Amino acid sequence: MSVINPGVSAPSTTKAAERARRREERQREAEQTIRIFGIRRRTVAIVTALCVLFALFTLVPIAWMLINSTKNQANIFESFGFWFSRPFVLVHNFKMLFENVDGDGTYIQWLGNTALYAGLGGIGATALSALGGYGFAHFKFRGSKLAFSLVLAALLVPIAAITLPLYFVYAKVGLINNIWGMILPSMVSPVGVLLMRVYVRGSVPRELIDAARLDGASESRIFFRLAVPLMVPGLTTVLLLSVVGIWNNYFLPLVIFSKNSLYPLTEGLGLWASHASTSGDQNIYPLLVIGGVVTIIPSIALFLILQRYWRGGALLGSFAN
Amino acid sequence: MSVTGTLRTVRGRALGATDAGRPLEPGRSHANWVHQRDRRGAWFVVPFVIAFILFTLVPVGYSIYTSLYNTRLIGGTVFSGFQNYTATFQAGDFWSGFIRVIIFGAIQIPIMLAIAFFFATMFDLGIAKWGGAFRTIFFIPFAVPAVVASVMWSFLLEPQFGPFTHFASVLGFQGTNFLGTNLIFPTLILIVIWEWTGYNMVILFTALKAVPREVIEAAVLDGASLAKVVLRVKLPLVRPAIVVLVFLNAIGALQLFTEPLILQAYAPQSISNNWTPTLYLYNTAIGGQQYNLAAAGAVIFGLVIVVLSLVSLISRRRRGEFA
Repeated sequence: MSVINPGVSAPSTTKAAERARRREERQREAEQTIRIFGIRRRTVAIVTALCVLFALFTLVPIAWMLINSTKNQANIFESFGFWFSRPFVLVHNFKMLFENVDGDGTYIQWLGNTALYAGLGGIGATALSALGGYGFAHFKFRGSKLAFSLVLAALLVPIAAITLPLYFVYAKVGLINNIWGMILPSMVSPVGVLLMRVYVRGSVPRELIDAARLDGASESRIFFRLAVPLMVPGLTTVLLLSVVGIWNNYFLPLVIFSKNSLYPLTEGLGLWASHASTSGDQNIYPLLVIGGVVTIIPSIALFLILQRYWRGGALLGSFAN
Repeated sequence: MSVTGTLRTVRGRALGATDAGRPLEPGRSHANWVHQRDRRGAWFVVPFVIAFILFTLVPVGYSIYTSLYNTRLIGGTVFSGFQNYTATFQAGDFWSGFIRVIIFGAIQIPIMLAIAFFFATMFDLGIAKWGGAFRTIFFIPFAVPAVVASVMWSFLLEPQFGPFTHFASVLGFQGTNFLGTNLIFPTLILIVIWEWTGYNMVILFTALKAVPREVIEAAVLDGASLAKVVLRVKLPLVRPAIVVLVFLNAIGALQLFTEPLILQAYAPQSISNNWTPTLYLYNTAIGGQQYNLAAAGAVIFGLVIVVLSLVSLISRRRRGEFA
C-alpha cells in the first residue's frame, strides 16, 4: 500500500500530550505557510468567510429542524422558519414519539429496532473485518489472492445493488420480515476488510508477530492479545462507519420488511413522509420534524465524541495516515 | 470458489509465495515454517468469506437464475432464456433512468469535488482560520440519514410554505417551485452536495496531510508560488484519492434512490416511478411483483457497477496500489 502509518514508530508518553503537540505543530506549519507564500490577511479573511458560508449551508437545515421541533403544525407552516414561536410544544411533540400515530407505527419502537440492527450488524462487521483484514495483511495461503480480489471487486458494489438479489433469495427461503435478514448482510463489509488490512500493515509490525511466534504463542493468542489492542483505532473507524451505514440504510429494510413493527427509523420516517400530505392527523408534520431531530442527534453526537478516531484514523482504505 | 479450495495448501509452494519486499533466509525449515503459519492464517478470513458467499455471491447467482425464467399464472415457472433481458433493454423506462443518473453524476460530482478540494487545500495549508471546527461542521451531514436529509430539504423547499421558497420570492423569484419539473434536478444535486461534500473533503484532507512536508518545502525553495504548489505538487500527489472518490461518487449517483423516493411524496408530478434505475427496479420488483423482469434489470444494473469498479480497480492497480 502506498502510504504507511507514520505514527506507530514514535510511541508517545500520553495521548493527550501527543495530540496537543500535533496541534501545535500544525499551527506552526500553518503560520509558516502563510509567511512563506506571503499570504495577505485579506486572503485569510476571504477564505474564512467562504468557510463560514459553507458552514451556514451545512447547518441551516439542521437549525431549521431543531427550531421547528418546538412548534405545532400550524406554526411550522405559518411562522418564520428560523425563530421560535408560541406555543412552545417541544415536550408535547416529543411525547408523540411514544404514540402510534395514524396506525403507521411507533417511533420509539423503530428507534429500538435501529439500535438493534446497527449494534449487532456493526459489531459483526467489525469482527469480520478485524479477522479478515488481519488474515489478508499478514498471511499468504492458497486462494488468498483470489479471495482478496473478490473483496476488492465487492468493494465498489454497494449494498443497494445486492438488495434486490437478497430480496429474491429471502422470498425463497422465508427471510422476509426476519430481523436477521437485515443484520447478517450488514456484517459483510468489504470496505472494512480493506481498511483493516491497510491498518494492520501499518500498525501491527510483522516482526512483532514473528517474535511472539518464536516465543511459542499461538496464532489466536497473538491475534487477540497482541494485534487487536494495536488495531483499536482502526476498529473504531470500521465500527463507526458500519454503524452509520446500517443506521442510514433505507433501501434494504424498505424491501425486506413489510411489518411496521420491524421497521428501522429510516423506513418509519419514510412512511410518515409519504403519508404526510394525505394524512388526516394534525400532528404528522411536527412528528416528522421531531422524529428527524431525535434520529440525527445520536449519530451526530457519536461523531463528535469519536471524531479523533476517524480524523486520525483511516477513513477510506488506502489513505490511512 | 469453494471454501475448501481456499484453504487447501500445496506443499512446497511457500518459497514462491514469500512476503512482498522481505527476502527469505535460505533454508528449507524456514520456508516450511512460513508456509505453515501462512496456512493457519486462512482461518482468519473464513468467517468473512462465508458471510460474503451467503449474502453476496448466492443472491447474485440466484438473481441470474431468476432472470432466466418467467413465472406465469398458468403453467408455473418456465425457462425463458434472455427474454427478460430483451424486455429490459427494450423498455425505455430503464434506460431513461440510467441516462438521467449519468447526467446527474456528470454535473454533481465535479462541483462537489471542486468544493471539497478547495476547502481541503485551505485547511491543509492552514489558510482558513478555525480549520478543525469547520472540518467537523462540514462533516456533520454524513451522520444524517438520507431519509432525514430528504425530509428536511423537502420542508425547506416546499413550494407554498418552505422558507427557501420564501427567500427566493423576496429575492425577486416569485412562484419558484424547487420541487417542480424544471428545478427538481438541481434541487436533488443540491441535496446530494449537502450530504456528501464534507465526507469527500475529509478524505482529500487526509490525503493532502499525507504529502510529506519536505516535498512542499523543496518546491517553495525552488520559488514555486502557492497556486503552483497546490496545483502542480499537491494535486498530482492526491490524484489517486480523487480517482477513488470519482468512482465512489459515480457509483453513489448510479444508485440514487432514497432522495428521489422521499421527494416523490411531495412532487409526484416531477419524479416518476422510473426516475432512476433503482427506482425502476424497486417499483418493478416490489410494486409490480415482476420478479423475473426485475431480476434481469438488477443483473444489468449490477454489471454496470461491476464494470465501473473494475475500471477503477485497474486504474488503481496501474498506479501501484494494492501491489
